[in-house]
Amino acid sequence: MSTVLTRRPGVAELHPVRTRRRWSAAKIALGVSVPVLFVVVWQLSAALEWVDPFLYPPPSRLVPGIAALWEDGRLVDATVTSVRRVILGYLLGAVTGLVVGFLMGMSRVLRAALEPFSWAWYTVPKLALLPIFLTIFGFGDTSVVVLIAMTVYFFVWISVMSAVMAVPTGYREAALMLRANRWEMFRHVLLPAALPEIFVGLRIAAGVSVLMLVGIEFVISDQGLGYLIEQGRTLLLLEQSYVGIVLVAAIGYFFALLVKLIGRLFIRWAADDNAIIPS
Amino acid sequence: MDHIGQLNPSGAPGEGPPAAPRITVREASRSFVTTGRSAVHALGPVDLSIGDDEFLCVVGPSGCGKSTLLKIIAGLLAPSSGEVAIEVSGDHRIPIAMVFQDYGIYPWKTVRANVELGLRLSGRPPADRREIVDDWLGRLGLTDFADVYPGALSGGMRQRVSIARALAIDPEVLLMDEPFAALDAQLREVLQDELLAIWQARRRTVVFVTHSLEEALLLGDRVVVMSARPGRVIADIDVPFERPRSSAIRTDALFAKLRGELWTSLHSEVVAQFDAGKDRP
Repeated sequence: MSTVLTRRPGVAELHPVRTRRRWSAAKIALGVSVPVLFVVVWQLSAALEWVDPFLYPPPSRLVPGIAALWEDGRLVDATVTSVRRVILGYLLGAVTGLVVGFLMGMSRVLRAALEPFSWAWYTVPKLALLPIFLTIFGFGDTSVVVLIAMTVYFFVWISVMSAVMAVPTGYREAALMLRANRWEMFRHVLLPAALPEIFVGLRIAAGVSVLMLVGIEFVISDQGLGYLIEQGRTLLLLEQSYVGIVLVAAIGYFFALLVKLIGRLFIRWAADDNAIIPS
Repeated sequence: MDHIGQLNPSGAPGEGPPAAPRITVREASRSFVTTGRSAVHALGPVDLSIGDDEFLCVVGPSGCGKSTLLKIIAGLLAPSSGEVAIEVSGDHRIPIAMVFQDYGIYPWKTVRANVELGLRLSGRPPADRREIVDDWLGRLGLTDFADVYPGALSGGMRQRVSIARALAIDPEVLLMDEPFAALDAQLREVLQDELLAIWQARRRTVVFVTHSLEEALLLGDRVVVMSARPGRVIADIDVPFERPRSSAIRTDALFAKLRGELWTSLHSEVVAQFDAGKDRP
């Protein structure tokens, strides 16, 4: 008894354009439907009284919460403050991390001198340093920005340094044969070769910067979305806390997305991740 | 793709030994220190003299140190003992070019930018660069791919880019480290013919490392055979075929005879290298 194995074109081969379009649509639909499903379950759990709707306000109660916060301007104020802090802190930390990461990635001497010290600093929870920064810079934006910058710095520094060190010897040798100097080696080889991995680090750092922001605003309780969340908890205005949490999640998502899109602008030579289906 | 017809060999046909040596290798050897082990003696001592405008092919069993020798000549690696001297004119910013087996070209640069890189780094003005690059792209059949990233090219096309970049800077010495080893047999022959035509049109000193005896005999003025590790020169033969050559000489009876001689000298070394590999933990 024998079996014949046949290989024939599948749907993707017979209708490549349609398959591609369908997958694009499906991708968006899947990405949207999970959060929608989450909101529905959340609403249902309150409606069916699986949980106490006072302690766990359902999505429907967030709408009047947002309206109230919008009307007295606190929503806009808090969002603007938080976004400003996180962007400034992120830029400061990312730029420093890029510079130091490249310098250390390119110099054995600098690496030998600074690596142990830097790793020790990396493991210190930056929130523990908040009191010191408050003493130096006082309450307000500067302390928050510097602390976010420090957190971002370490993530970027590590990813840049390891990305530079991982650039294959063959690429370096090819440039050496063309008599490239240090700057030319950086500009034509190390920077472009390291960019994909660097952008992974930058995206992780974008998420971490939002995490840090909320943590700091919780502790110093002056302004921003973290403060809004914390105030909602202490005053038992839980809708306000939830609005804050949703906004923070949205900011984090769009921030990481923005970094990813910027990365794509710089890394045009690499294939997209959905190249499985030929056009 | 056939360039041979339009070319005239410049200068006199390479009869007799070339005049002054361009590259002199004196007692060069190289050891590598590996972690937790004693030093591995990879190469030499090797004595070798390579004439001006000579095309020298180096063959030997895998791991015999032929790539190490090339890297020492290139200046990418220092010899552990001995020395290598290379005559260069001094007014050429990049007198030595190298074609690598892989990693030679950059996936983040278009074909044009890759070929242009050496010229750019040597400070040639953009107009010059464009003209030279266009010329080399044309000669290697890459014109239509000028603005494509190498990721979209086949292995053979990528190696053409690599060769174009090396030749665009018009080096005095060209080093090639198994440039066709990763290509399939047919493509290999096509590129060998192209290299022959290009070299015969504009001669320069070439050191070409390969493990293919046919390739060495087809391309080289002289073939050097290296022993199993640590690599030493165990045979050094002049290839008598006249220039300009083409791959037609493969069918020549003398070609087969020379190949047989080379194989005889190499055979025991290949076995020795293989047996040495078997004994290792």
